[in-house]
Amino acid sequence: MENRILFRAGIRRHKGSLIGIAVLLFLVSLSLSTVLTVSLGGGSYIRQEMQRAGFGSLTAWVSGVPDMELLTDSIKAQEGIEGLQVQNLLFSDYEAKGVESDSEGQLILWSGGDKTYRFFRNDLSGYSEAPKEIAHGTVYVSPSMISIMNLQIGDSITFPIARGGQNVSLTVAGYYEDPFMGSSMIGMKGFLICEADYTAILQDIAETGMDSLARNGAMLHIFTEAGSNASIADISQLLNENTTISQYTEFIHSADAIEGFMGILQNAFCGLLAAFALILLAAAMVVLGHSISGVMEQDYKNLGILKTIGLTGGGLVRVQLAQYLAAMLVGILPGILAAYPAAKAAGRMTLTTTGVLLPADLPVLPCMAAFTAILLLLMGFTVLKLRKISSVTPMKAIRGETTEIRWKPGKSFQMKIEGLPFRLAVRQLLSGKKRYVSACLIAVLLVFFASLAGRMNTWLGPEGKGMMDAFNPADLDIGVQAMGELEPEEMENMVRSYTDITDSYLLAMPSVSVNGTNYTANVITEPERFHISQGDTSRSPDEVVLTETAASDQGVGIGDKVTVRGDTGSGEFTVSGIYHCANDMGANIGMNREGYLTIGQDAPQLWCHHYFLADPSKRTAVTEALTEAYGGDVHVHENSWPGLFGIIAAMHGLLVFMYGMIALFVLIVVLMAGGRILAAEQKDLGIYKSMGCSVKMLRVTFSLRFGIVASIGAAGGTVLAAILTDSFVSAVMRLAGISNFASRPDLSNIVLPGLIVVLLFLGCSYLAAGRIKKADMAVLTAD
Amino acid sequence: MKKVLLQGRGLTKVFTQGQTNNKALDEVDVDIFEKDFTIIMGSSGAGKSTLLYALSQMDAVTEGTVSYRGQELTRLKAKQLAKLRAEEFGFVFQQTHLVSNLTLYENVAVAGFLGKKGSSSQIQRRAQTLLTQMGVEKAENRLPSQVSGGEAQRAAIARAMIGEPGLLFADEPTGALNRSHTGEVLDLLTALNQSGQSVLMVTHDLRAAVRGNRILYLEDGKILDELELPAYQAAQDRQREGRISGWLSKLQW
Repeated sequence: MENRILFRAGIRRHKGSLIGIAVLLFLVSLSLSTVLTVSLGGGSYIRQEMQRAGFGSLTAWVSGVPDMELLTDSIKAQEGIEGLQVQNLLFSDYEAKGVESDSEGQLILWSGGDKTYRFFRNDLSGYSEAPKEIAHGTVYVSPSMISIMNLQIGDSITFPIARGGQNVSLTVAGYYEDPFMGSSMIGMKGFLICEADYTAILQDIAETGMDSLARNGAMLHIFTEAGSNASIADISQLLNENTTISQYTEFIHSADAIEGFMGILQNAFCGLLAAFALILLAAAMVVLGHSISGVMEQDYKNLGILKTIGLTGGGLVRVQLAQYLAAMLVGILPGILAAYPAAKAAGRMTLTTTGVLLPADLPVLPCMAAFTAILLLLMGFTVLKLRKISSVTPMKAIRGETTEIRWKPGKSFQMKIEGLPFRLAVRQLLSGKKRYVSACLIAVLLVFFASLAGRMNTWLGPEGKGMMDAFNPADLDIGVQAMGELEPEEMENMVRSYTDITDSYLLAMPSVSVNGTNYTANVITEPERFHISQGDTSRSPDEVVLTETAASDQGVGIGDKVTVRGDTGSGEFTVSGIYHCANDMGANIGMNREGYLTIGQDAPQLWCHHYFLADPSKRTAVTEALTEAYGGDVHVHENSWPGLFGIIAAMHGLLVFMYGMIALFVLIVVLMAGGRILAAEQKDLGIYKSMGCSVKMLRVTFSLRFGIVASIGAAGGTVLAAILTDSFVSAVMRLAGISNFASRPDLSNIVLPGLIVVLLFLGCSYLAAGRIKKADMAVLTAD
Repeated sequence: MKKVLLQGRGLTKVFTQGQTNNKALDEVDVDIFEKDFTIIMGSSGAGKSTLLYALSQMDAVTEGTVSYRGQELTRLKAKQLAKLRAEEFGFVFQQTHLVSNLTLYENVAVAGFLGKKGSSSQIQRRAQTLLTQMGVEKAENRLPSQVSGGEAQRAAIARAMIGEPGLLFADEPTGALNRSHTGEVLDLLTALNQSGQSVLMVTHDLRAAVRGNRILYLEDGKILDELELPAYQAAQDRQREGRISGWLSKLQW
């Protein structure tokens, strides 16, 4: 009974602190639950949808297969292969809203009753019934086409089927969920069309023969045996060696790789958000520790009195713990519940980027495990902080003796009329250091994360150059690939009519296999242009460079030999170095032109001419001019891809969200810490007022204390970010095959995060100090 | 003819606690004259400190007006009042009330800086001089918690004097001191008054009251009577005490 009375009294007395802790933990719980829901739920949903739609453990995109039955039979006959399904499609470039696609689209035949794909409502608010049939002349696209090309229902997409302007134009009738290629991070895109259109295009391809630009192809969904120990790489090697599949393969990916592609964006952002949630948790623990110390200070005398009436130290610890536990649960439980609408909103908001409607169902077991661990951690921390209650002796407490170390005045910082508010603030800090430690630690944590995100944002750049550099094997301003009879000189003359070409090189990206596993080869005429991170570039014809991912997958390093097979033969090459190229999640090798020509066929259409322009701002004008002049005969790309803007927007969204959370955190922390400090300084405030100190000056002095503390914390956080950002972010980026993350310090990511946090502390503490107006000088009276 | 320094008219102060109203001052009219050592006496709860804080505008009155050198203070804004306190008023409290994390010297100097009467170095020199006058120069670099009550109170007087105030308010300045420290503090206040400093002091101690030349007696929030005395002379302590005692007896104190 007495515990219940004490519990209620404690809640009443410290409701401000307890509410503050509850709010902070609510934010932590909301962030973490949302991240867990999106990350775990998203990953398993994509996998589940891929299985439901009938995609195999390995999918090969093939074209130009003369006898499909022969090929599929030979694949099915291999050991470890359980089955195979063929999904016919047509490869074609496409153009919409004046934007030409970077990768080929895949026109997929869809008939009524086909359950492979799910369709969205027109406003993307959820799923709708599948249409009975796709109408003639219409097409269903992934919602990510909205972020890539701003493609809306009713817009037209043009597919160049053959040279001479033979195009097919289809109108967007709606959106469908593509768990395979839906993400804006994936260049290839599927388009669902009706049988009539499919047959008509197929007929056009057949009729135009050599002039056709579109190609007939298929997705081969290969299912491995359930009990098979063979890895996907083993199966791929087996198929390459024992079937003719490599002759027709455009690209081949495992289900894991596809899932990885589909989840790159949400996984990268969830990783960052999870880290942010953990930073918030650490900050909440700092506040909790500060609050417990403050409560102990306030209740010191009461604790002594309670001991005189027979309560034990252990009993008092339990009562205090119960109060904090109640506050924790009040914060955490609603946070978990609020994660459902938050994840739902996140799913809808990211639909146009991820291409799939991420489920909002809470992953119960992981959440329970995470929050049980967090609760245990918080309770352990609380008990640790409360242990001092046991050392409170009744008389010592009643006499008001505390064990607080008293401050010793020095001569290092004298009071002067110049900058008096600042000098007074410094004195308050020096004499009451312990009260400000929590604010300082929180500033360190918040600035660290803001600075880290700022460095990432700088790396990404306003036009996503950082990301593009990570995906491109070598730098460029513009790439032009002639598809037909067009002469390179003609293209170059047109480019030069806009701006001079300062430099150029050639790059081809044929498929090869390395030790039997399929990779994209980056074949270059000037190998010194590769982004090399270790070793040397592939200068000699018998040398190759591998990405970190490829080297790790193959278990080889610099100096090792690998067998590379092209479309005309194979050869042994020495790994001379490691380079960056995150295309296909890092499944790339780099080689020079001479080396490739020993195993592959040369053709003028194979090479993309990469140009550096004297005036790079002319890129768009040059692209438009080339496309207009040569249509389907030329493929032009800049050092960008439309999906990049979705990533940049998401990054900016993340920064806005993060700064919002930081502002909220700073406000709560300052209100809690500041409230306690002001309560303890009532008398001093009265004295200062009696000396003629204005309320404004007292408020300025008060906020300066937090400003100084935040500045110290901000400096610490900035240094911490400078030390840890590269290793921390690189670890996350490696999941997406990006191994070249190196933060670039500049004014905006070094100064800005710290400055914002310091200004927030200054502003919030100035607001919190508003109660100084009410500080009554009557506390000084004798009556 | 004495010059009115501070004037209170119809001063009423009501404290409200729950549904109970307690009238601490009841339409008090009072004049405080320049260069006087005015004493406010009365029993506990009579409203002495309330009147002092009402006159100094440390606390707002419920009704009435206060004027200082003809300027109505009750109409001033908080910022103007803060300026007035820094430049014209000095305060000495019963519990010394020095800022705990400033040394004695800094307590005095900071008050001077707020008054802004002179340059930084002039104020610093004046603070040193005042502390020497008060006899606490050896403790000037110590914190209030490291000195005796008498030393702290002398430093508080120095702080009150740093701004060369027009009026020094003292609220039971010897209330928390022992006998020897009480004498020291009263001697300091008397010396200040004799050098032309106007002082308004609240006390219930007869030994302190003898230092004044005008005594106001307060009961139930009203001034019941006042006593005029000649200027203080140390040799006349007993006679003055007797005269005040007799006057107080008549008032049934």
